[in-house]
Amino acid sequence: MTIKDKRHQEITNKIRKIMKNVGDDILVEGIMPTLEIPKVGYDNTVWSDEKRMLTIGEKTVQIGPNSSKRIPTFAQYLVMANAIRKLLDEEMESTIRGMYYATLSTVGDEKNQQKFWSGQDDSDDAIKAIELLTNVPREEFSVTSKPKGMISGPITLSVGGDLIDCNLGSKATSQLIPTNIRDLEIVKVKADFVMVVEKDTVLNNIRKSGFIQKYNAILLTGSGEPDRATRMMVKMLNEKWKKPVVIFADADPWGLGIALRYKIGSESLSYDSDRLVTPNAKVLGMMFSDIYEYNIPKVARLAATPEDMNRANDMKKKPWLQDKRWRKELNLFLERKEKCELDAFFKYGFKYLADTYLPNKLREAGVI
Amino acid sequence: MTSKVTTEVLEKGTRQTKTILQLPQKHKSKIYYNKKAESEFFVDNSALAGFTGERILYMSVRELIENSLDSCEINHILPVIHLDLKLLDPLNDLWTISCKDNGIGIPSEKVPVAVCSFLTSGKYVEKQQRGLFGVGLKMIAAFSTKDTDHPLKVWSKSEEESEYYFDLRTDIGTNKPITLFKKNVKNDESQIDGNSGFKVQAILRAKLSPVTKNKIYDYISQTSIVNPYAVIVFETDEGKVTFKRRTETMPSPSKEVLPHPSDMDLKTLKKAILNFMNQKTTLQGILSSSFQKMSNEKAKDIINRAGLEAKPADQYDEHELIKVVNICKHTKFQSPNTDHLSPIGEKILTVGMTSEYSIIQNKVTTNSGSQTHLTAKILKPALTAYSSRICVVNNRPTIVECGIAYGGDIPSFRLYRFANKIPLLYDEGSDVAREVISEVGINKMGISKKEVKEQFSNVETKSDRTVEYLPIHIFFHICSTKIPYKTAGKESIASEGDLKKYMKSCLSDLYRKVSAQIRRELKIKEDENKLRLYKHYIPFIVNAISESIKIDTKKLTSAFQILAEKYVGGELSNITKQILPKTDQKRIEPVNKKINTSKRSGNENKLSKFDTRSNISKQSNKISSPKINISRKNRKK
Repeated sequence: MTIKDKRHQEITNKIRKIMKNVGDDILVEGIMPTLEIPKVGYDNTVWSDEKRMLTIGEKTVQIGPNSSKRIPTFAQYLVMANAIRKLLDEEMESTIRGMYYATLSTVGDEKNQQKFWSGQDDSDDAIKAIELLTNVPREEFSVTSKPKGMISGPITLSVGGDLIDCNLGSKATSQLIPTNIRDLEIVKVKADFVMVVEKDTVLNNIRKSGFIQKYNAILLTGSGEPDRATRMMVKMLNEKWKKPVVIFADADPWGLGIALRYKIGSESLSYDSDRLVTPNAKVLGMMFSDIYEYNIPKVARLAATPEDMNRANDMKKKPWLQDKRWRKELNLFLERKEKCELDAFFKYGFKYLADTYLPNKLREAGVI
Repeated sequence: MTSKVTTEVLEKGTRQTKTILQLPQKHKSKIYYNKKAESEFFVDNSALAGFTGERILYMSVRELIENSLDSCEINHILPVIHLDLKLLDPLNDLWTISCKDNGIGIPSEKVPVAVCSFLTSGKYVEKQQRGLFGVGLKMIAAFSTKDTDHPLKVWSKSEEESEYYFDLRTDIGTNKPITLFKKNVKNDESQIDGNSGFKVQAILRAKLSPVTKNKIYDYISQTSIVNPYAVIVFETDEGKVTFKRRTETMPSPSKEVLPHPSDMDLKTLKKAILNFMNQKTTLQGILSSSFQKMSNEKAKDIINRAGLEAKPADQYDEHELIKVVNICKHTKFQSPNTDHLSPIGEKILTVGMTSEYSIIQNKVTTNSGSQTHLTAKILKPALTAYSSRICVVNNRPTIVECGIAYGGDIPSFRLYRFANKIPLLYDEGSDVAREVISEVGINKMGISKKEVKEQFSNVETKSDRTVEYLPIHIFFHICSTKIPYKTAGKESIASEGDLKKYMKSCLSDLYRKVSAQIRRELKIKEDENKLRLYKHYIPFIVNAISESIKIDTKKLTSAFQILAEKYVGGELSNITKQILPKTDQKRIEPVNKKINTSKRSGNENKLSKFDTRSNISKQSNKISSPKINISRKNRKK
């Protein structure tokens, strides 16, 4: 038996234990079974000064088949747990979408027929619930999502033993960050620092300009909301390979939110922050103040939408965003009601972003 | 009448116009002023009476049934009405419509005029009645004359006479009846069964679309709701439906009433004076005996304030009389009487609501194609409630009645509107009742929007009004000497004066009345839903467990089912047994040995405890279930 198999065994045993408890509740105790799951969300997210990241609090929820709403949820969780057990027993791997299909069925009689899941969101939630119940991240269930993070630069990865050199000489392409992280290893890192940007379009522009070669950097993007593999890659490069990490996102509340995802974590994944968050990462831009410091032409600025305003106001209220720097930026945004994308620098020429803005910012921060 | 002359003048006129046209250099035409006969006017403007293309048959059904009901109620006769609607000639769209009742009939010498001459009616009095204008039956006669060569066949028997038969047509140009044939009917040819009655049969040219057909069905079934004391036999080519008499109680008939002085105008005042012509009555006397709420002193005061000198009543000129009218408009009188109105009443409406007939069109497929067959289904609700308000709207006495029928056979929400016992079927969207329903919150029923939407989530309604998710029928009846209709079509009621306020208070009242029962019905529904969920989801849960660990699937399933039954609550044991298969408790033994070897002795203790508990709950089920049954029976009463 390999080590991997042992880990699988551990996890399936955890699942069997859950099943047994439920069975015992019904058969032996004669009580409604319940599953106790840590609560996920704002009201159970706690800032840890020591770890400098968001962590999950003590609150739990009881999921049991005791209300009309909970009966389906309870069944969904058990069905998903069983499906994960099967996946592990069969030594296969699946995406979250694959798990949705594997457990798809209909419920009810001819009169009241419903789908077991109303959509993939439901099955994603069930997978999360099993992660929380077993305290095992889903990557260890061999359940992954579709890769969407991208990486470029002097780094060599090993995926299941195959070597992938991301320092592609052509400047023309990037490498997708694999999501099956249990098979993923970083073999070699020659870069001086790691630069994370919000969007793949911006990454492409920077890469094409020769930024990687000039500054000996690794470029990374989560293509919007970063998946777990991307966040873990950033953390690994920073903490295991000791490379400084800088983050650039759009100057709007959503962009700031994404940047902070890397640095402090998120409410919905607060239970997994230890694996995902890079507290040493520096969020360098694009700050709301940059709009005015770099005098972005009016035509390239966007008016804030009501949703933007709401989100900024929400962010201001979060206890973990009381830092002077974030408050100042958010207040500036709420006052001027203007936002800006990194792409706006293209107004000054296609190379301005990579040749002027980014080096300026990096120099200010002492990274180069 | 000078109508013959009128026609000649008209013809001359046309001829002259033609000659003028031949001489274009003059460019002048003379205008001739002619009088048009009432019948011709109404035929030309048939929309005024609602007789437009699609609706001809619907309006005919309506007018005939309303006449029959009025004719029975005037003498407190329990109505028996036969309505036949059959296709006579599909090629030419000819229909035979006939209606027979056991009402008071019409004296034989009045029959031709009453059937054919427009604006001839026995109903021109200040009184709550269905028909008012003396137009309906005449419209049918005129359309039959206009569109076909068939006579209108009429059988009539009034109490004093024997039965007469008539073949009638209308002279549309003169508004006069043409009696083609009249005879005293012998016993063996008699069409009228009882002491009195009236039957009319007409051939009409009309198209019947499925929409209009449904409106006719709706009209008859809704009429039956507010007239449950009437037998209505409705026969078409598709079958025969009999609405049985469900009560012998009839509402007391409405009475004629004196006008209220706030409604006085020059016309009513002059008419009142005319009535006392040659009787040497003073103006004061005429006022106090012609208007309600007008005492002798009040009349004297008004005349004094108008500054009129005393003289014989017929000597006052219009300039003097208008002063009296103006003073009356500015004087406060007591609210008008309402005792002359004839509401449906709690007893009768409740009978109607608890035995609502619904006409069902069954499609029967035979060799020769599919045919529709009519049947009637009686909807029994789980509960009903009634509330009413007597009020004055724009100086007209008005009674608002509201009823609710909930649950049982009622499948979904529906609003029923009645005005003076006539169902209103069109323009529901603009009716004041719609606004009332939107504006009264269902929280008065003690239930929340959320609960309703959860329990009735499968109901297909696009409305965001929560009440429309409920299986509830809401009935509004407005009765008044003058209904504030929104349009000439008389299909929707306007929100005039305080009418809406009274309707809202009526509906709120009802919501409160039924709140306890609706909550209980909702709870039953909720528990049914919950049990259904258990039934559907237990197999998933059991399967997930038994695939992962070794466990006795059957035992797990039955133990889970018992648990679910217990959980949903003892008072619903009956429903529980229907939905979940009965499980035998004795078969539950200590759990699978393999899992529980370590704590086996403990298990037995726990199990015996578990057994007792379920026995207790079983017993309590037995005690509580009859209570529910009793209360449900009570409700149906």
